[in-house]
Order: sequence, then C-alpha cells, then structure tokens
Amino acid sequence: MKARMMAGAAMLALIAGGAQAQDLKFTPGEDARFHWDSYEAFGAAHDLSGQSLRIDGPWGGIDKELFQSVIAYFEAATGADVEYTGGDGFEQRVMIDVEAGSPPGLAVVPQPGLAADLAARGQLAPLPATTADWLRENYAAGQSWVDLATYAGADGQEALYGFFYKVDVKSLVWYVPENFEDAGYDVPETMEDLRALTDQIVADGDTPWCIGLGSGPATGWPATDWVEDMMLRVNSPADYDAWVANDLKFDDPKVVAAIEEFGWFARNDAHVAGGAGAVGSTDFRDSPKGLFQFPPQCYMHRQASFIPSFFPEGTFVGEDVDFFYFPAYADRDLGRPVLGAGTLFVVTEDSPVAQAFIEFLQTPIAHEVWMAQSGFLTPHKGVNTETYGDPTLRKMGDILLEADTFRFDGSDLMPGAIGAGVFWTGMVDYTAGGDAATIAAEIQRTWDSLK
Amino acid sequence: MDNIVGTKSRLVWVVNLSALALVLLWLFPTFGLLVSSFRDRDQITASGWWKAMFPAEQTLQYRAPGAGDAVDENGVFVISGNVFEGGRGSVKSFGTSARDPGAFPAGETVPADDGADLTVLQNGDFRLTSATEFEGRRGMRIFVTSVTPPRFTFENYGRVLGAEGLGRAFLNTMTVSIPATVIPILVAAFAAYALAWMEFPGRALLVAGVVGLLVVPLQLALIPLLKLHNEIGLGKSYLGIWLAHTGFGLPLAVYLLRNYMVGLPREIIESARVDGATDFQIFLKIILPLSFPALASFAIFQFLWTWNDLLVALVFLGNTQDQLVMTGQLKELMGSRGGDWEILATSAFVTIAVPLVVFFAMQKYLVRGLLAGSVK
Repeated sequence: MKARMMAGAAMLALIAGGAQAQDLKFTPGEDARFHWDSYEAFGAAHDLSGQSLRIDGPWGGIDKELFQSVIAYFEAATGADVEYTGGDGFEQRVMIDVEAGSPPGLAVVPQPGLAADLAARGQLAPLPATTADWLRENYAAGQSWVDLATYAGADGQEALYGFFYKVDVKSLVWYVPENFEDAGYDVPETMEDLRALTDQIVADGDTPWCIGLGSGPATGWPATDWVEDMMLRVNSPADYDAWVANDLKFDDPKVVAAIEEFGWFARNDAHVAGGAGAVGSTDFRDSPKGLFQFPPQCYMHRQASFIPSFFPEGTFVGEDVDFFYFPAYADRDLGRPVLGAGTLFVVTEDSPVAQAFIEFLQTPIAHEVWMAQSGFLTPHKGVNTETYGDPTLRKMGDILLEADTFRFDGSDLMPGAIGAGVFWTGMVDYTAGGDAATIAAEIQRTWDSLK
Repeated sequence: MDNIVGTKSRLVWVVNLSALALVLLWLFPTFGLLVSSFRDRDQITASGWWKAMFPAEQTLQYRAPGAGDAVDENGVFVISGNVFEGGRGSVKSFGTSARDPGAFPAGETVPADDGADLTVLQNGDFRLTSATEFEGRRGMRIFVTSVTPPRFTFENYGRVLGAEGLGRAFLNTMTVSIPATVIPILVAAFAAYALAWMEFPGRALLVAGVVGLLVVPLQLALIPLLKLHNEIGLGKSYLGIWLAHTGFGLPLAVYLLRNYMVGLPREIIESARVDGATDFQIFLKIILPLSFPALASFAIFQFLWTWNDLLVALVFLGNTQDQLVMTGQLKELMGSRGGDWEILATSAFVTIAVPLVVFFAMQKYLVRGLLAGSVK
C-alpha cells in the first residue's frame, strides 16, 4: 500500500516537473508510430514567431498538463507563444471575458449549447468553409460533427464555428474483473443479460451498482447521462434527435419510459449501494470507490471515459479495473448506440495565429501526442491508432468505431435552463421517489416557457 | 424581588448554555477537519477522525508478486513477501476472495487458486506455495484485515502547498488582500474627516450619497468596470483588482469612519483649531490616533472580505498560476480532488490560518469600533 502511494507521489512529481519544462514529450522524428511528416509540413507552412495566443478552456489539473504538452509542439513548429489558462469555472469566465471585451484567442467549449449562444451574440469568428469539408472527409461520422458545430451567427447566417477535438465515450460500465471472476460473473453482452446479472448479484446477497449524482451545483448530471443512454436503447435515434430539439415532448411516453428504465436500476434499494436514498446525495467522484472496497460495495459503475481520474491512486485501468460497453437490448433492433461528448475549439478573437492553431488541430500529430499519453479519444481517421498510450483507450476507440449510432450528450445540446437546470434537478427528484410522468411534465412546462 | 432575581439568573443560564452549544456546534466539525488534515488517505477511509488516536482496523488489498518472482525450493514453487511492504501493522485475518476478505485467521494455511497454498502470518509475512509452476505476470490478490497503529503526518501540508499549488495561491491572495485593505482605509480616513469636521456646502448630500451607495450590489458593476479596465489598458491585473476592491469597500469604510469621527469630542478639535492647527494636523495628530478602534475594525472586515472573495477575483484577475487566488485554487481542487478529504481538509486549514491570526490579534478593537461607530 505504501509503495503504491509512493509511486503515486512520484508520478505527481513527474507531472509537476513536466509542467515547468516546456519541452517536447516525444522527440520529433524518433518514434515511427507518429505522423512526424505532418508536424514538419505544418511547421514549414507556418511561421508565426513573435505572435501570441491565449486559450481558455475547462481543462484543469492533469488534462491541463496534457494539453500543454500538445501546445508545446505548436510552439516549436511555428515559433508562436501560446498560453493556456483554463481551469474550473470556464463557462462563467468566458462569458465575462467576451462581454467585457477581453476575450481569449481561442476557447475550448464543452457544451455546443454554450458555443451556439456565443455565436448568436456575435462573439465568435466563423471557420473557413474548407474546414467543414475537411471534417466531413477526415472525421468518422464527419457530417454529424459539422452539424453539431454549425450555428446561426448574430446576423442569422449559419456557419461552422467550432472544431471538435477530444471526445469522450459515455456508454461505459466499469467493473473490477477479479471481483467478477471471484463471483463467477460474465460480462453481459445485452441489456437483458445486464438486467439478469443485476438480479443475480442481488440474489447472491451483494449490491450490483454504485450510482452517485452529487456534483455541487451541477448535482444530477450523471442521471441525465443514464436517461440519454436509455433513450438510445429503447427509442430510435430519430426519436432521440427529436427529443433533444423538443419536437418530441419531454413528457412523451417514450421519454418517460427511458426515465423509468433508469429508475429500474437506481430506484431499487437492493440495486444500489447505500440504497436508493443515497443516490442523490453521493458525490459522483466518490461513488466509484465502492468498486474498490473489500468486500465490494458494488460490482458495476456506469460512467464516462474520464472517471479513472477519480479511482484510488495506483489503480491500473485494464488490470485492476476494466470496462465494458453499456449494452443495448437484443430484441429491440436498435444496433449498438453510443453516447458521447466532446470539446470544441471556437475562435473568440480572430487572428492568424488562432486560425493556424485550428489548422494545427487538423494534423494527425496534434491528436497522436495526446493519444500516446492518456485520456484522449479522437474521431480523426488519419491518425495511427497504434499510438494510443494504453490498450484501454484503444478499446474505447473501438467502441466508438463499432457504434451503429453515435449521439452527443443531449443535455449539453438542450437550452441551458433545461440541460443544465431542470433536467438535473428533475432527475434528483425522480431518484428521491418522484413520479416520472409528473417530473417529465414539469420539465416540459419549463421548456414551453422558454419559447 | 426574589422572584425577579431568580428569573434573571435562569435567563443568564439559558444564554450561557446556548452560547456554549453554538460554540461547540462550530468547533466540533472544525476540530474534526483539523484532525483529518494530519491523517493520510488510507486512515481517513478506514475510520472516522474521532478514532484517530486508536489503532484502526482496515481491510487492504495486497497484490502478490507475479510468477517471475517465484523461487524453486526443492521442487516446490514459493512466492513470499510481506503484505505491509515494510510498514507496520498486524494481520487479524485474511482471505483470497474479495467477497470474503476476512475468511481465515492469521497463521492458518489455506488453499488458494490453481492448487496453491497460502499462509499469512500475524506480522504480515506471507508464503504462497505450489507444486506446479506459477503462471501469469500479475500475482494473486491477498486481502488482509489489519490493525494499524495511529499515525499523524505533515505530508498533506507539504503536498497541498507544493504540488497542489496552494502555496503560490496563498501569496497571490496576500498580494490582493493587503493593498486592497490599506488603500480604502487611507482614502476613507481622509474622506471621513472631511465629512465629519470640515464645513462645506453639500456635505449632508454627500453623506447621504455614500449611505445610498451602501445598498448598490457590486455585481451590477462587475462587467462595466472590467470593460473600463480593458479600455484604459489595465486589463486583468493586480492594480485592477486593488482599484475594484477599493471602490467596492469605500462606501462602508467612509460611513463607518465618519460616524465614529463625528462622535469624537468637539472640544479637543476646537481647541486645536484655536491653537492654530491646520485641518491636516488635526487629522494626523488627533483624529487618526483616536479613531484607531474604528480603523482596525474596518481593516478586519475588509481584509476578511478580500481574503475570502472569489467573485471579484474571478472577474478582475486571470486564472494563470501567478494570478489565481486561493479561493479560486480551492474551487479547482474541489473539482479535481473532490473525493480526497485529506487534501480538502488541509487546504481549508491553510486558508483559515491567516484570518484566524488577524481576528485574534485585533478582535478587541472589532466590537469597540463597531459599537462606537454605530451607537452614538
């Protein structure tokens, strides 16, 4: 235990050290897995010495160090000076900054809804038309990424405003393989199996799930991911799109059915560690810890690909803990739907160096440098997947590629008052014992009042 | 008469008891945080802070070395080691399955996976023997329920101040708070003297204006003020936040100090005037020393407010390493390390250290200054 903690501390020290020395993580030209030619070509085409760029975004902590390691390559290639100042509270900060007239050069936006809002206020510079063509050609499901980043500007003219970089897969269930082995459980392939496994674990006298919705002022968001995943598993993708656009009403029986699917897992005292009453109050960062206790408090935890950051120190993903695809119903014929999210770069203050950075993100090397480290998935088809730093990332990438349907996190696309408001609180009320139809009707009423 | 005295003393008791209850209500969790800040992560998960002084029983997972470390002892393959890896502790029971981690008492030899036998002794030494060769790079899991002696550590403080960046943020907060406390006091003391003792037309209106400003919420001014700062080239800088805090603090400062100064005896000031003192001399030699309690009480207020402020700092300062204040850094830690109680408890204590010192050093002025300023 102690040695592990020391290893954790040593890793932290390494990361901290890396932040100060802004040198390149991988020496250009050395590792043949990387597309160094794209790096050389980009550097030859752009000379931006003496120019500077400020990027703001939501990534703090380890993600910040990783992104800075990518920036280092841009700086080395072009001679430009780039500063990333992101961290917590980005959503408020970027609003203050653009309103007060001191916007960053580029902003990394986690919700397309926020980017659309900024575009409508006339605070974003549109990307050149060639970027949209590039996306269609080089990103898997390119058109959907273009659609997600196309908004109406202040003049009502639609244009591409954002460039997606770094995506997350949300349809994952985390488990400890050795606990499954000890108990003799198999990874379920279908939703029917998953439900059967849940019942099986209960019958064996254990608790199958750890679910926590707590997240300070954003409490409730993990439940919206559950409902969205369920939406894709009981309804067609077209229904999902209609739901996000509110063409399918929130209190439609189809949506209520998806909420109740989630309720089957979360509202049963026997299914959740600590009982259904603990779901709303357990912090989402604390909830996976039940997997790692002995005897285990729970066997499964459904959460997006970022959650390993909150696992106990020294946990090796792929060995100590692993994940499987949150399966779909075998008898509903809806394929393998995958729910995901992503961050998009928008130009908040137009300059040659900002546009050059967006071009840099189109080079395979900008993706490979981060892929080779950790916590990065990309829909870029031109990258060498050999560069993925660990096999689990590749496995997630496969889930992304094998998906029949990929849908973006619906709550991020809905208006803020819904997707970052009553949808969250409504789901907390639901887990506390509220009636699904009543809560859905209330959310729909709020949505109506926005129109 | 006896009756009345009796009622009074009972009331005093009630007041004292409720004060005591309130103090305990506040102190109890704070003390818990303090204790937690000296414990390491494993101990915090194993037992509550109130058990910090006692040996803790916890269940650990230890991973035995893989097949590569097996030794062939006369045809028997052996993997051995210590589950505490050199640390202290004593094994109470152990197990080979996560479902029943405390199945066997220490010292017993039990069958493990793949025909191997496992023995774990009380001191943590274990021996895994098998007639056939071990397989696999990763060794098996051994679960031990152990009793670990209490341990306190300063590691959390070192880590928070260094790696977690709170040390730097502490200095940034100091850089914001000290000038943001001194500047408004300087300005407000002059203004308060003028409003209290210098005769000029419109004085009453000015005082009314200051009182009126007290009720204007500062949130209204944030964006326009930042816009102004950007236009005149201040941008997001320390100078900008000092000016902002000065502006937001001035109405209260002027009001508080003026009320206090008005209450000073007129005779002293008039006799000084008769002796030929100028207004500046009167201010410097008489008013300022006499107003010390009011100045101190305002200084405490302003310092605590700027120290704990997050909103103004988020708007007027950037979030780079050299500008991020402690409240901002804490908020970030809450996001990235929300589950690590030892880090959060330690951060909390680093944050409240300075306000505590300031408060205890100057608290005798606080009440005096406040009362003198408001109740005339």
